[in-house]
Amino acid sequence: MNSREPFDDLEAELLALGDLLDVPTPPPADVASAVRARLEAEAHDTPDPAHGPFDASVRPHPRAPGRRDDGRRPPAGRGRRARWKIVTAVVLVVIAITAATPQGRAAVVRILRFAGIELRVGETTPPPVTTTAPMPGEHTVQPDKVSGQVKFQVKTVKALGDPKSVTVADNGRVVSMFWPDGVRLDQFDGSLDPVIFKKLGPPWPDYARVGLHEAWWIPGKHPLGYIVRQDGTEVPLRQAGPTLIWQQDAVNYRLEGLRTKEEAVRVATSLQ
Amino acid sequence: MNDDEAIERSLAGDLAAYEALVARYSALAHRTASMLGAGDEAEDVVQEAFVKAFRHLASFRRDAPFRPWLLRIVANETHNLTRSRGRRSELTLRLGATASVAAPDDPEGAAVATDRRSRLLEAVRRLPDRERQAVVCRYFLQLSEAETAQVLDWPVGTVKSSTHRGLARLREEVGNELA
Repeated sequence: MNSREPFDDLEAELLALGDLLDVPTPPPADVASAVRARLEAEAHDTPDPAHGPFDASVRPHPRAPGRRDDGRRPPAGRGRRARWKIVTAVVLVVIAITAATPQGRAAVVRILRFAGIELRVGETTPPPVTTTAPMPGEHTVQPDKVSGQVKFQVKTVKALGDPKSVTVADNGRVVSMFWPDGVRLDQFDGSLDPVIFKKLGPPWPDYARVGLHEAWWIPGKHPLGYIVRQDGTEVPLRQAGPTLIWQQDAVNYRLEGLRTKEEAVRVATSLQ
Repeated sequence: MNDDEAIERSLAGDLAAYEALVARYSALAHRTASMLGAGDEAEDVVQEAFVKAFRHLASFRRDAPFRPWLLRIVANETHNLTRSRGRRSELTLRLGATASVAAPDDPEGAAVATDRRSRLLEAVRRLPDRERQAVVCRYFLQLSEAETAQVLDWPVGTVKSSTHRGLARLREEVGNELA
């Protein structure tokens, strides 16, 4: 309170007057349910911005401190709109899944999308996945036969030498190359909708660069899953190791199993 | 469930958690909207403010208190409303029934007190916009100078000077009768 002497009595009087004012207030529960009804109605045709921007630019932290979001939507071009719809569908799926358990409700604080990968970042480390499942339609192929089964140009990281084995999954949507000690390179079409999801707790993803390309280093082990494109079904795959993700020439890359960010970046820059 | 838990759950899409948060701050939000001039439309303003707050929740700094952040949105909505109506916001509040029974043992004294309160409220109503808003936030809503600055989106210095000028004007009008 203001303590300038001559005003003390008047200030006290104003405080008392404030308490005596008659402010019409509807029952709080009614206000709460009215607000909820409006939010539910909106959720059907607009994305849920409480989860932040669903664009390709990922921030290293789940919240950008001091950021001012004026909530205005971007100019609504047709492509944009279609994309928002896809994003909305994905978000609703995520909400449906995470809302199923009390732990799930508290778990996801932010969803970030980058390089065809959806990062579900939470305050706590998610419980590890103990099972291992293959991607839909995953099958081994001879390295020289890969190109014929895939729509995008397949590359490899020369720094690791020839892969031990190569698989193609989901009708040529994903190519995976394997080296000893759990090192693998996944590459997939850089379309807008995410293909893979990762559930993350602390430590947060760390910014990195692969040559001229933005990348993110996910330092900890984390649950990994696959989003089936047509119907949005999610397939939990396995507990993944530290991973570097980046996008290059409209193809998404995920390099897993190298111990440090520096080593992963070094290997990633040998992509050709 | 404290504010932070409610916010975290709301961010995860849990509307029940947000409902709890709305219920918690509903009365204060109505009070703020009414006192800043929303009048009969306080209910609409408050609903709209809570819907907007949910949309902007991701931009809320979690290390900061929720209350002034929310009231800032309420104040903005109120301001938008009064501006769209193209007129000065008004303090349309009445003194509650309890005002006249404050001192039941002393009917005469109570009447004097009630009369004085009415005149003080009338004087607050007549204050220029800025001074009235500062006085309302600081005394009727009992916000600190820093909170007032955040809610009204003014520098703290402006809050101080507007409050000071408002108090001086009130004192000029009714202060001479202070016991």
